Amino acid sequence: MTKTKKSDELIIATKELAVQNVEKKKRAAELLIANKELVYQTKEKGKRAAELIIADKELVYQTKEKDKRAAELAIANIELNYQNEEKEKRAAELIIANKELLFQNKEKERRAAELIIANKELLFQNKEKERRAAELNVANKELAFQNKEKERRAAELIIANKELVFQNKEKERKAAELIIANKELAFQNKEKEKRAAELIIANEELIYQNTEKEKRAAELIIANTELKKAEHLIVELNIGLEQKIIERTAQLEAANKELESFSYSVSHDLRAPLRSINGFTQILMEDHLENVNEDAKMVMEEIIAGSKKMSELIDNLLEFSRVGKQQVTMENVEVQNLVVSIINELRQEDPSRRISITLNRLHNIKGDKNMLAQVFINLMSNAFKYTGKKENAKVSIGSYIQDRHCVYYVKDNGAGFDMRYYDKLFGVFQRLHSTSEFEGTGVGLAIIQKIVLKHSGKVWAEGSVDHGASFYISLPND
Amino acid sequence: MFKDQIDVLLVEDNKSDAKLTIRTLEKYNMANNLVHVIDGAQALDFIFARGEFEGRNMANKPKLILLDIKMPKVSGLEVLDILKSDERTKSIPVVMITSSKEEKDIVDSHKLGVNSYVVKPVVFADFSKTIGDLASYWLVINNTPH
Repeated sequence: MTKTKKSDELIIATKELAVQNVEKKKRAAELLIANKELVYQTKEKGKRAAELIIADKELVYQTKEKDKRAAELAIANIELNYQNEEKEKRAAELIIANKELLFQNKEKERRAAELIIANKELLFQNKEKERRAAELNVANKELAFQNKEKERRAAELIIANKELVFQNKEKERKAAELIIANKELAFQNKEKEKRAAELIIANEELIYQNTEKEKRAAELIIANTELKKAEHLIVELNIGLEQKIIERTAQLEAANKELESFSYSVSHDLRAPLRSINGFTQILMEDHLENVNEDAKMVMEEIIAGSKKMSELIDNLLEFSRVGKQQVTMENVEVQNLVVSIINELRQEDPSRRISITLNRLHNIKGDKNMLAQVFINLMSNAFKYTGKKENAKVSIGSYIQDRHCVYYVKDNGAGFDMRYYDKLFGVFQRLHSTSEFEGTGVGLAIIQKIVLKHSGKVWAEGSVDHGASFYISLPND
Repeated sequence: MFKDQIDVLLVEDNKSDAKLTIRTLEKYNMANNLVHVIDGAQALDFIFARGEFEGRNMANKPKLILLDIKMPKVSGLEVLDILKSDERTKSIPVVMITSSKEEKDIVDSHKLGVNSYVVKPVVFADFSKTIGDLASYWLVINNTPH
């Protein structure tokens, strides 16, 4: 039995299994469908997840934007707050201003009321004035009419007057003409009588002179022949003179050329050895200092100083001889301007020098501008130089006219000079002071004298030791 | 025989003046390429590369010629005239260095086209400064065409 039970059970079990299998297959199919469904949903979720990520990024970005705007709004808020405060300040100011305006308005209304009263008064016064104006008009027309009457009569009188005046003048003219004509006739009558008398005397005179002329004519003929002889002599003498002039001019020119080449030689040839002496001694001092003792140094300094001095002497001598050769070119020289510019230059050379200069009037003069400049430069430099040791150095310059000459003077209160040696004052290289007292070579005054003589003028001086010197030059003032 | 670059041609007949000039230039370090001739004839021979200087390259022109006036044989003014008339040498700077202050010499030199006329001072300190300034100007500051 049990086997059939078991086989029944088995069959039932197998049916059960079969049913379960069918069920499983259904469920498997359902699960497949469910899976597909899940896969699909998973994809959907994936898409949505991606979308959500993008949406997230979008949100993050927007959040940042909102933060920025929030910050800007915060700043804007602060700004608005500030502006509000400003507006409240201005509102307060406007309220004060308003009160002021209200007050002023009340004042204006008061004045307006006053003006209205004043206006009524003026209106009344105007009506009074118009009444009086009307009365005056009537009076005016009466006067105007009367004036025209008077003017008519005045015009008639003026015309009548002019007629009378004119007639009077005519009468006076004619009277005057008659008087003049009368005097003229009387005068002419006297003249005729005088001339008649003179003519008689003149006639007798002429007769006498004629006889005299005949005598002189004879004498002149004799004198003429004498003159002609003398003329011949003069012509011969002239020819002789011209020869001599030509010869002497040639001699002078030759002498001048000799002097010129002498000067040239002096300037060129004498300077070269001087340069050697000065140069090599200087080189000794500079480059061989170690081999040189104090005494030798002193000796070399003397040599250098000596050669410097000689160079100055040569330059001055040359200048002196050059002045001698030059011809004078006459022109109008403005001495005032010349001296002012010389003084300026001298002051510039030594700005620390205190010297009081009194500049009086300096006349213009005809002369060679360059040479006269040289003269004044020398005079002024001397004045500056020889007052160098005085505390209160004073120089005065001026000019005056005397006997058709113009005299210029330069006076200083400096070292002066001894009048006993006046003869040497204008000599070449002659000095009245030692080089240690005042430097110089003694050619300045000699040059001045040469130039002044070339202008046919004179130069002279006065001085006393330690009490200054005065120099005068006089130039012809035609 | 000669170095390629000639800086200074010194034309001076006086030996002492030449010594002083050269010595001064040496002190300023400007005498390295210096040639010294003793008269105008030698100067012309040197510049035009003839006579005793035949074989020198004439294209090597001196940067500066220091020229005295009074010299035996050919004088400074004659040399100046020749130099300034010749196309090849016209542009070389010529400085007349002389004792003469005569207006005539200054006028004649300028008529011939001298670049500069300098009077030699007697006092050495001034002489040395003048030569130094001169050389410094013409060799360093001034530009000459090559």
